Amino acid sequence: MLEVRDLQVAYGQAPALWGVTLKLQPKELLCVVGPNGAGKTTLINTLAGVLRSRAGRIEFEGRDITALPPHRFCEAGIALVPEGRRLFGSMSVLENLEIGSLMPAAKAKRAQSLASVLALFPALKAKLAQAAGELSGGQQQMVAIGRALMACPRLLLLDEPSLGLSPLIVTEMFSAIGRVNAEGTAVLLVEQNVSMALRVADRAYVLEEGRMVAEGSPDELMRRDEIRRAYLGV
Amino acid sequence: MTWPSATLLAQSVLSGVFVGALYGLLGLGLSLSWGLLRLINLAHFAFAFLAAYLCYQMATMGMDALATLLVIVPLFFAIGAALHWAMARFSITPFNSLLLTFGLTGIIEALIQSIWTADFRKLESAYGEHRFKVAGLFVPLPELITLLLAVGLSFAVWAVLRYTDLGRALRASAEDPAVAAAFGINQRRNALLLAGTCSALAGVAGVCLALGFTLAPSQIYAWIGVVFAAVMLGGLGRALAPLAAGVVIGVSEAVTMAVTAPSWAPLVSFTLLIAILLFRPGRAA
Amino acid sequence: MNTTVRAEPVEALPAGPGLRQTQPERWSGQWRTAAAIVAVAVALAFVPMLGLPAFYDSLLYLILHWIVLATSWNILSGYTGYFSFGHGAFFGAGLYTSATLMARLDWPFLATLPMAALVACVLGLGVGAIVFRVKGIRGEVFALLTLAVTFVLGTVIVNTPIDGGNGVSLAAVAVPRIGPTASSTFYLLALAAAALTLLVAWAISVTKLGAGLFAIHDDEDAAEVMGVPTYRYKLIALAISCALAGLAGGIHALFLNYVTVGEVFTITVPLTVVLMSVLGGSRHWAGPAIGAVAITLLLYSFTAANHAVAGKAMVGVVLIAAILFMPEGVLPRLQRLLMRRGRAPAVVPVATVEPSRGAEPAAGQGDVLLRATRLAKSFRGVQALAGVDVEVRRGEILGLLGPNGSGKSTFINVVSGHYVPSGGSIVFEGQELAGREAHRIARAGIARTYQIPRPFGGQSVLDNVALAALFGGGLGSPAAARREAMTWLAFAGLQDKAHARPDELNLHQRKFLELARALASRPRLVLLDEVLCGLTPAEIDAAVALVRRIRDQGATVVFVEHVMRAVMALTDRVVVFDHGELLAEGSPAEVMQRPEVMFAYLGQAHASERSDA
Repeated sequence: MLEVRDLQVAYGQAPALWGVTLKLQPKELLCVVGPNGAGKTTLINTLAGVLRSRAGRIEFEGRDITALPPHRFCEAGIALVPEGRRLFGSMSVLENLEIGSLMPAAKAKRAQSLASVLALFPALKAKLAQAAGELSGGQQQMVAIGRALMACPRLLLLDEPSLGLSPLIVTEMFSAIGRVNAEGTAVLLVEQNVSMALRVADRAYVLEEGRMVAEGSPDELMRRDEIRRAYLGV
Repeated sequence: MTWPSATLLAQSVLSGVFVGALYGLLGLGLSLSWGLLRLINLAHFAFAFLAAYLCYQMATMGMDALATLLVIVPLFFAIGAALHWAMARFSITPFNSLLLTFGLTGIIEALIQSIWTADFRKLESAYGEHRFKVAGLFVPLPELITLLLAVGLSFAVWAVLRYTDLGRALRASAEDPAVAAAFGINQRRNALLLAGTCSALAGVAGVCLALGFTLAPSQIYAWIGVVFAAVMLGGLGRALAPLAAGVVIGVSEAVTMAVTAPSWAPLVSFTLLIAILLFRPGRAA
Repeated sequence: MNTTVRAEPVEALPAGPGLRQTQPERWSGQWRTAAAIVAVAVALAFVPMLGLPAFYDSLLYLILHWIVLATSWNILSGYTGYFSFGHGAFFGAGLYTSATLMARLDWPFLATLPMAALVACVLGLGVGAIVFRVKGIRGEVFALLTLAVTFVLGTVIVNTPIDGGNGVSLAAVAVPRIGPTASSTFYLLALAAAALTLLVAWAISVTKLGAGLFAIHDDEDAAEVMGVPTYRYKLIALAISCALAGLAGGIHALFLNYVTVGEVFTITVPLTVVLMSVLGGSRHWAGPAIGAVAITLLLYSFTAANHAVAGKAMVGVVLIAAILFMPEGVLPRLQRLLMRRGRAPAVVPVATVEPSRGAEPAAGQGDVLLRATRLAKSFRGVQALAGVDVEVRRGEILGLLGPNGSGKSTFINVVSGHYVPSGGSIVFEGQELAGREAHRIARAGIARTYQIPRPFGGQSVLDNVALAALFGGGLGSPAAARREAMTWLAFAGLQDKAHARPDELNLHQRKFLELARALASRPRLVLLDEVLCGLTPAEIDAAVALVRRIRDQGATVVFVEHVMRAVMALTDRVVVFDHGELLAEGSPAEVMQRPEVMFAYLGQAHASERSDA
């Protein structure tokens, strides 16, 4: 469904990704793990169209989207849950969710999507009129995921959903993500929290210093040394 | 300081409301442009005056003063969008946009002066001759029209920002452009729309100016300070706030003028502006 | 303690241009500029004797008048980037001081001039003392605030007996005769004022004050952290700027003969000086003067040809063109043109090849250099640091580790003074640092680098490093600072790039520039914030070697990093942060194997995996 080949991305002068390659199958839940500074956010942002790559190719559902302008990615079926949530803090929760469904196809199904998001995160029902910036971290994460789901995406991109959240909320979040995936949406998840990520993933990659250093099923990866070395240096 | 009679005071407050409405109308386009587009458009005032002079010209040639809106609104929408398109090709910081539009103001002022000279011009329209009497107070028709237009347009903009997808898209783009783009918001197109609207609003304000005031090219600068005060008092990027702030400033000025002398009026708005900027500089961002 | 510098192939010093002696040339070059200004002024003083028609006296007076106004404005606004729209207020204050003293108190004209300057200066200090204290008043907010001050002052003056709405007539005041004709008086006074203003502007630009002001322009927060006393410097620049504007006002009062508020307390004066400075080049002391001459002549030529209106339009066009195509102004363009013709930039000698320390670092090795006790920092309810106790021992390389969001960068920011702590104390060499202004912390001997390099973009690589030596290191003159800077650039291997701009360097070089800058103030404690991120493996090796050499020079290093193999190789001790608290402390290999640390990084499953193995 998604194929990335030799992706090279840089921030101005500073290179962040050196020839990254990955494949995602339809309906798969794929995780990319790696320590801080590995380039995970860079990867996700490039796949969402927020960043431009310097070289390489991104193919989504058979279509080359490498050079697509940023605002076209959502239409193409890819929705982003950014790192640190990045909600529109001054706008209400409901408005944030509505922003997710501005595209014509999603707009037609707005009421339905809203209902299913609220079914997934019942805690949000009481908060619809509140300004998004006033919610707790966990609630904001729910809104961020909901906002992306309102776009009726075929691929959901999540950037470090566990960042800054307490372990209990993180568990809830990941089970919600699991449910979304079970209903047919492909998910690509980058995470620093290895154990949580590998628990839900179908497959995973390990990213270190801008390069993919390992790939496989969660069980395989847990047994290998790359993760330990990447994170702890020992 | 002599305390005026109740009627005189009430009349002052009313005229303060009227002039405040015009401050608000002028401030509306400026506030939207600064808050949502991150451009400080000093030329907004020059546009308003250009529209005022065009209205004067067309009315003098026989057109109904209010009917000139039919020409002016689309014309200025186009001018505003075109100007924004041109400016967007160079990435300009908000501060440089202030300087650039000042240069533009000088050019427009020169243009106005070359066509209509520096002499004072007053539009004698049918509207100017009507006055209503409400509860013992005089309500001139041109001022009333201004008030109605200001209130109507402010609420219209407010409704669009609050209740439509376009409004939400604009507010989201102003808050976080990168994430807004990730959700499909076409910021370039929206910016052109908004810039055109702000100019069109300046055009409407210009027609109101022509209806109620005497025009002279040098007068462009007289409005800058007090309208900026209204914009900052209300907060950037809001629809109803410039109107409310404008009325507050207009009434304070009018009361000050009635109680002391007209020349003290500017002290009110500028002291307010200083106070806001000192205590809430974050509002400007 | 080994104090010799280990030879590293990467940083081998080439013999060559960097070591040539050119000191005497540099000094005479500076005085030459000052002498030139004075010489030109003296030469121009003879113009009235040419017997030109009075029209020329007026035109020349106006040109000089605008040179004073534009150059004085530029001292604050061009140099620091705080664009003031209030120059009219200070000019007007001087103007009205003179007018009032002459008309109401019968003071002789010349005696009123120092008073005009003084009143304007005091006014400026009053405004600046309040406005510069409030954080966040910069850019367009500062511009609007100063504009508002102008209108407030104008309103007050017009409504009080100072003006009273009728203006002040000076027809009855005697114009002192200086020079052959009546109008030459103003010309000569303006000439003197212009020469004074240009000398002052030039002098500031070549001294420590100017270096500080330019740094404030490029990055005020970084400048403060590097030791520039930003509040004080801005106030000084404002005071000088206002005094000169007041002087111009005083002279102009009698020139006009009849002063009104409407002419002076408007938006026109500030916008005109902005235009002149932006056009000519606001970073250079002579830029505004060039702009003043060009614009005054332009306007005059249009007025003379009866096209005053077109003149106004022309000025608008020029401003727009300047903003879009020459935002730096005309002068820098000209300078670059001249430079390209083969004039090599002045070469700065290197003081010593191997920088050595005065104090013997072996003594006191292992003492506690910095102790943070219960250090806390919250941002709007979020606790970034929840009370940490950290000791840094002299001469060690301490690694500061932890997952994302654990508070490592916040710790660096608090210790360097970038943030004020919410609680706790920081004792450095026996002094309490918590709550001290950042520039004082820099002077106390602490330096830091930024994760994303923040060089001063408008200055050369050499000047970037010299600034640290000048302010953090407390050296007296820019020349001495540059010599010191060259030494540290050589240490970091960047001596060939001394005269380049930071944006010409690649990331690796910019990181090394950050390091050279941090070292130039000879700090006892160096805080490195993720220096290695974004570097290739080879570059990482070079950086690691450099960090070792830094410690070998006698500095203590605290090192925030994620690249684990570098941490393992370099650090003597590590502390691990998690969620704003101290999680573990000890030798790197031992700490990273502890279960609680593994859990913080990897989560439960992996931690239990390891402890089983």
